[in-house]
Amino acid sequence: MRELRVLLNQTQKVRLQAALQHLRDLSFQASSPAIPVTIADTIPVNREDGILKGHGTLEFNGQVVATQCGVVEQVNKLVYVRALKARYKPEVGDIIIGRVNEIAPKRWRIEINFSQDAVLMLQSMNLPDGIQRRRTAVDELNMRSIFEENDVVCAEVRGFQHDGSLHLQARSQKYGKLERGQLLTVPAYLVKRRKQHFHHLEQYGVDLILGCNGFIWVGEHVVLGENEMPEDQESRMENQEQNFTPLKVRQQICRIANSVRLLSAHGFSLSLEIILDTAEASVSSNVEINDMLGAEFYVQTAEREVQRRASLLKKSRR
Amino acid sequence: MATAPTSTYSPSNSWERARQQQKKSLFRKEDWVRSDGRNFHQCRPAFLRTGATNAASGSAYAEFGSTKVIVSVFGPRESKKAMMYSDTGRLNCHVSYTTFSAPIRGQGTDNKEYSSMLHKALESAIILETFPKTTVDIFALVLESGGGDLPVIISCASLALADAGIMMYDLVSAVSLSCFGTNLVIDPTTEEEACRDGSFMISYMPSRNEITQFTLTGEWSTAKINEALELCLDACSKLAEIMRSCLKDNVLS
Repeated sequence: MRELRVLLNQTQKVRLQAALQHLRDLSFQASSPAIPVTIADTIPVNREDGILKGHGTLEFNGQVVATQCGVVEQVNKLVYVRALKARYKPEVGDIIIGRVNEIAPKRWRIEINFSQDAVLMLQSMNLPDGIQRRRTAVDELNMRSIFEENDVVCAEVRGFQHDGSLHLQARSQKYGKLERGQLLTVPAYLVKRRKQHFHHLEQYGVDLILGCNGFIWVGEHVVLGENEMPEDQESRMENQEQNFTPLKVRQQICRIANSVRLLSAHGFSLSLEIILDTAEASVSSNVEINDMLGAEFYVQTAEREVQRRASLLKKSRR
Repeated sequence: MATAPTSTYSPSNSWERARQQQKKSLFRKEDWVRSDGRNFHQCRPAFLRTGATNAASGSAYAEFGSTKVIVSVFGPRESKKAMMYSDTGRLNCHVSYTTFSAPIRGQGTDNKEYSSMLHKALESAIILETFPKTTVDIFALVLESGGGDLPVIISCASLALADAGIMMYDLVSAVSLSCFGTNLVIDPTTEEEACRDGSFMISYMPSRNEITQFTLTGEWSTAKINEALELCLDACSKLAEIMRSCLKDNVLS
């Protein structure tokens, strides 16, 4: 995603610096200071024996050196280097959003924010008519009617293949093709793993899906039911015309999408509360949707975050 | 610079050759001062920044005097399907010059020789086993060529790889040196490179005390090689310190 370029005037710059400084102080109070390292820096360890060398470390000349730039983290005996520009690290059961890159024999190759394309097998996908049966050659030829190139798809990680690429499955109703919305790309480390990744925002009538790989989907709400896919082109076209997304819903989609863009530009972790907070603040201060990406709201968001974290810290202290 | 028309065919204008020889003899004098005022064992001041390109996984920009290079690293990403499964990752290097990089405007060329030399310099520093079956692409673009291009490209590329989060054994810094008669001149500019007797370039990993690439052209005696090696290793260590502090600033901010 293109970085947000915000032109701040002098007072806004001062306010932003003050807010960022507050955030740094707050995080300093909350957790122990972390040691930044660059490549081939020795990592200071207390006990030489019994240290497990984790990701991003290497043993050299009896010392532990870093192979990546980042921050040293220690969990009991495990020492590892957490890279700042962390790539997405997939785990089984992650909810993922991706775009279909190509259609291969009996599978779709899906581009997620990872070093390799993920694979969605035809067998891991529910057939349109919902019947559980063996996939035949006709099914294989009709793969294009389910997903085409450049479709946005939501799926779950089933496992890893032997070469490290991901195996996806989309067997439940909530997975599948995503239409009528926006796909946003944020750095993957901003989306933490939670219990719920599918959110339905009632007051806006919008679906929000936070993919663990850093792809976020904001779209029109889809009623989950036994959807019967229309078999032919004409009826599908008619359906689309009748179900034209109203302007109000589109505006809400843009508003939520802009709050996500704003928060990722700041580098704040994305969660439902903070996104809703930002959207509500923009509505209450009567900020126009396109002005949300402007300088003033940018600085206000940082200040609001300072207050939020300060109050959280107070609450946890009590 | 008008050429006087001659009746016979001669390979080069004698006036040109006289100028060349004059320059060469100038460089061999003991008290010759370099055009930018440095002494023989002084490198150009280095300006390094990471995060130059947004679209790339990692990128770096380096300015050494008038040599300006920008390197973008993409990866690790899918290898082409034609390539067989391999336990180790692949490195793909690409060095190109812009049309405005040389004093005389020319076609932007794809320098294949530099690309393969960059590959050899970096492949031993990267831990390829960490990304099997994928490729890391390195694209180096020389915006202005002011001499000593390849060492600058190599140092800038290793900075970009560190920015991209690719696991490496150590940062690679590179320095080149030219020999004019008995004078050893470090970090030469284009005009110095044009009339040199021999060149010496090393790519070095300071923390491991290992040389990844060593290029020597021209006529060298053992004593001169030793002296040149000492000079270059020292310069490489200092350059690596500068690169490290640039990365640290990035990590802290």
